[in-house]
Amino acid sequence: MTPQVITGRAVLLDSIRHHRRQLVTASVLLCGHQGGEALVPVLVGVVIDRAVGTGDTASLLFWLAVLGLDFLLLSLCYRFGARKAWQADVRADQRMRHAVADRVLHPGGGAEAGRLPGALTSIAVADAKRVGVLNFVLPLGVAGLAALVVATVSLLWISLPLGLLILLGSPPLLYVVHLLGKPLERRSGPEQERAAQASGVAADLVAGVRVLKGIGAEPAAVRRYTATSRDALGATLRATGAQARYSGSVLAVNGLFLALVALVGGRLAAEGSITVGGLVSAVGLAQFLLGPLEIFGYVNARFAQARASAARIAEVRSAAPAVTGGRDVLPADGPGRLTLRGLRSTAGQDPVDLDIAAGETVGLVADPATATGLLAVLGREQEPAAGTVELDGIDLTRVAPAAARAAVLVATHDARLFSGTVLDNIRAGLPPDTGGDVAERAMRAAQADQVAEALPDGEHTEIAEQGSSLSGGQRQRVALARALAVGAATRAPVLVLHDPTTAVDTVTEARIAAGLRAIRGGRTTLVLTSSPALLATVDRVVVLDGARRAEGSHAELLRADAGYRELVLS
Amino acid sequence: MSRASRELLPVATGTRIRTVLTGLLRPHRARALAALAALVAGAASGLLTAPLLGRIVDVVASRQGADAVTGPVLLLVVVALVQGVLAVLGAALVARVGESMLAELRERFVARALGLPLERIEEAGSGDLTSRVTADVQQVGEAVRDAVPRFAQAALIIALTLVGMAVLDWRFLVAALLAVPIQIATARWYLRRSGPIYAEQRRAGGAQQQQLLDTVGGAGTVRAFGLADTHSAKVRTRSEDVVRLALDVVRFQTRFFGRLNGAEFIGVAAVLAVGFWLVEDGTATIGTASAAALYFINLFGPINQVLFLLDIAQSATASLARIVGVADVAPEERPATPARPVDATVVTKDLGHSYVDGHPVLDGVDLRLEPGARVALVGASGAGKTTLAKLVAGVHRPTTGVVRIGGATLEDQGQDVVRETVALITQEVHVFAGPLAEDLRLARPDATDEQLRAALGVVEALEWVDALDQGLATVVGSGGYELTVVQAQQLALARLVLADRPVAVLDEATAEAGSAGSRVLERAALSALAGRTGLMVAHRLTQAATADQVVVLDAGRIVEQGTHADLVAAGGRYAALWSAWSDERDEPQPSS
Repeated sequence: MTPQVITGRAVLLDSIRHHRRQLVTASVLLCGHQGGEALVPVLVGVVIDRAVGTGDTASLLFWLAVLGLDFLLLSLCYRFGARKAWQADVRADQRMRHAVADRVLHPGGGAEAGRLPGALTSIAVADAKRVGVLNFVLPLGVAGLAALVVATVSLLWISLPLGLLILLGSPPLLYVVHLLGKPLERRSGPEQERAAQASGVAADLVAGVRVLKGIGAEPAAVRRYTATSRDALGATLRATGAQARYSGSVLAVNGLFLALVALVGGRLAAEGSITVGGLVSAVGLAQFLLGPLEIFGYVNARFAQARASAARIAEVRSAAPAVTGGRDVLPADGPGRLTLRGLRSTAGQDPVDLDIAAGETVGLVADPATATGLLAVLGREQEPAAGTVELDGIDLTRVAPAAARAAVLVATHDARLFSGTVLDNIRAGLPPDTGGDVAERAMRAAQADQVAEALPDGEHTEIAEQGSSLSGGQRQRVALARALAVGAATRAPVLVLHDPTTAVDTVTEARIAAGLRAIRGGRTTLVLTSSPALLATVDRVVVLDGARRAEGSHAELLRADAGYRELVLS
Repeated sequence: MSRASRELLPVATGTRIRTVLTGLLRPHRARALAALAALVAGAASGLLTAPLLGRIVDVVASRQGADAVTGPVLLLVVVALVQGVLAVLGAALVARVGESMLAELRERFVARALGLPLERIEEAGSGDLTSRVTADVQQVGEAVRDAVPRFAQAALIIALTLVGMAVLDWRFLVAALLAVPIQIATARWYLRRSGPIYAEQRRAGGAQQQQLLDTVGGAGTVRAFGLADTHSAKVRTRSEDVVRLALDVVRFQTRFFGRLNGAEFIGVAAVLAVGFWLVEDGTATIGTASAAALYFINLFGPINQVLFLLDIAQSATASLARIVGVADVAPEERPATPARPVDATVVTKDLGHSYVDGHPVLDGVDLRLEPGARVALVGASGAGKTTLAKLVAGVHRPTTGVVRIGGATLEDQGQDVVRETVALITQEVHVFAGPLAEDLRLARPDATDEQLRAALGVVEALEWVDALDQGLATVVGSGGYELTVVQAQQLALARLVLADRPVAVLDEATAEAGSAGSRVLERAALSALAGRTGLMVAHRLTQAATADQVVVLDAGRIVEQGTHADLVAAGGRYAALWSAWSDERDEPQPSS
């Protein structure tokens, strides 16, 4: 039930262990590939020795056939090895992503506390990918090792001193290359940041183009972007300058090493201790060896990245749940009597006592802090700091969170719409076999039918990400229809609405007030609002403004309470 | 998809891209030539390695003694050093030319994009523009930084190696070219498929990202409505798509490399066979044959690289077409001698507008706003409030009638003057990323900190700004401190104060603000409008009650017009609305 606490190391090991079969297969196949690659220069040397040097046609055909076989082997090994490794990679990546998503969706909540959606998504995508990629680089590393072994054996077989020179010379060579790259590494981080910043500034300005145009700020914005772009250009040029010096040095160092190998190999061949073909093979292998050695560096860097990513994934998966529940069960068709006793959402607040009778509609005018806290507690997003919330006599904190939310539906004013059509969104919370009339009634009550009418494909219009293709007022009406539909279909005993009409015009608001009354008639409803149009239609208005309390009908309060008038009419 | 059909921003043709690139290259011509020379010389010197090794083989084969090896080895040392120096020069010069051109292009793009008429941006949707400025610029940037230099280098090496082989003996060249038909066929096969398959992969990645953002960002809503299972299934569907495509891609790529392996074998076998034949013939030495074989083995890497990079080149060209398309848009025509408004009177005469021919959303609107007057627009959604606001602000051109500000029509004023005359705040809330002061200075670049603070004071934002960790220097917007919706709107109003235009049109959303926030914003809007002619779309009737004049719109026409008191007394639509709002016949005095 509660999410388990897990370490980054465990995430990493589990990901590898889960795909061990594929990893073994991939490693074997990729070893075959690297071995085959290592044999190419060796076989070319053999052809030169045994055929070109001797003029023996049969030998030429035989060794060319061997070379062909080697190519076939290395090609097939790579094809299937890479596929297996890649499969292990993307499957591990996917598994990790699901684990993060499932933790976020856990009824206890709490995973998204203190994290922006973008950051969490990046953990589910980018970090999962970095852990998954280990499953790709691991077989590569094993294969690199195999290639190293094949090349070593071949070299030592061609000539002991030359082989030792190449084998002992290559690691220091790579170390020199690594040292050359150090300043580059130090520099490239901040430089890349500068370049990314230019792109970020451009995107930001373009995203705000309407705002810029509204105040005639385009010239100022263009000047600002040009300055950022020039700054980024300078940074990039410094970085590429360093990069150029680095790759140039690497090229020179490699060339000098090759000259050294040629010198020693040439002398050995001249003295007759190795063959001409052996010299050709050794030179080829010296060049080849750098590949596998570079792979080790690459694998190492990926491991470091993966460790950091696994730690972040583990942290999300181990996040403490915001609420826990008990084993109490709510009656299936309870009347819907809501009782708040001494309720404080946070420690410093004034306690709230409120009785809402079954079937009553209450308008609640509350200060923002009280409203936010109350909504979080009623929606079981947060445990109360003190006091209780009871539905038909049962304490909501002693019920499974999902069951409590099904019984008391809280529709906050910042509720999200999801991708899909308008109708998909409205039907989202309904059992799939619910008749079409429920959604239709809810849409009418929330004036969402008017929204659908104004859209190109009516209620079947696709909504862009997070409802961004709709205006604020349209979004609000669709969200309200969704809440009303659930209330109408599943007989969720209690519906809590929060500022449901702030973005709609006054004419529409008046219609919604009437629609709400009609569709919720006889069902417990709590509306947190300061809209006079809504307050005028509820059974009873309760004011919780800081420590101030008042109660009565909208009309009574308007007449009798100057403070109330100030609250809702100013 | 509907998104594609909305792509109304231009995409440049191949000819146009070439013309623009040539134009961009012109100032860097000398440097570009030097870069090319360095790269060619570098690749050429690199090619000396194989014949020098061949020379060593010959020295050994002809038994000239161990010391005879020293000469060619010293030359190898020289080649290594020269090659290194030329590589540094070449890469640095190529980067300088490429990056400068890219910077020039992206600056031109942003300038043009921000200069596009709002009407056009709204038709096309700003998503297209944003994706061009981010994804496309990045794609081209990566190509310039990485692919182009590698491609050029590899292509040069291939070309010069082939020349080198021909110099050894023309028959080696013929042998090497035997691999070419397979390579060409492979490249064509690859390019035909790679575009669609990578595009599909990017699309699936985007859809997955979007789904996760949807689910994670809406986690509270998901819990409230018990949608966890649905969302979990949606995430799984999207991620299965991503996995399936990733596996398709690797299958495709390994087949590509498999075919190239075939070409490699054919080439190397042919070169060795020719070497065998020429040595037997006495036309070539065994050293020459070795050099030719080494040449060819060293081509494997560059050939793979060139063919693989063709794909990046292809997508970078597509991105370039989208960037140049916008960078190339002709600036809007401006009147030669723009008319200047004499005061802040706003008059509309027989104003009408239709987005679709024959379906007017606004019709015959006659309106007069005296300088400094505040007029509130009231009406249901679709009554034409926002359209009227946009026409007055000069965002849309009216279908019929005219808007005059200070006696001059907006058309005669031209966009430049209109922007200095009217400010518009729309429902779009955007906080510019960076220090808060920089956000405000977009409205008035030369404003002092004191002026900024004064503007913030007008909209009641000074208190919370001062409470921020670093006050005006606090980094806000995307990636920075997240402002509430109310704070973001206050910032928009502060910009309005700083921009200081004589006429202001407010269609701002108090939507997400909640009722308490709405009140703060209403007060802020009132203060920000002081001394300006203001046209505001009223979302709450209290806004209308405090205005100098109320205009009630219905189905695109003005149905009532007058002061709040007059209209309430007249007992028409407005009075009915007001009574629903206040639930009282005897109207309470709105506090102002």
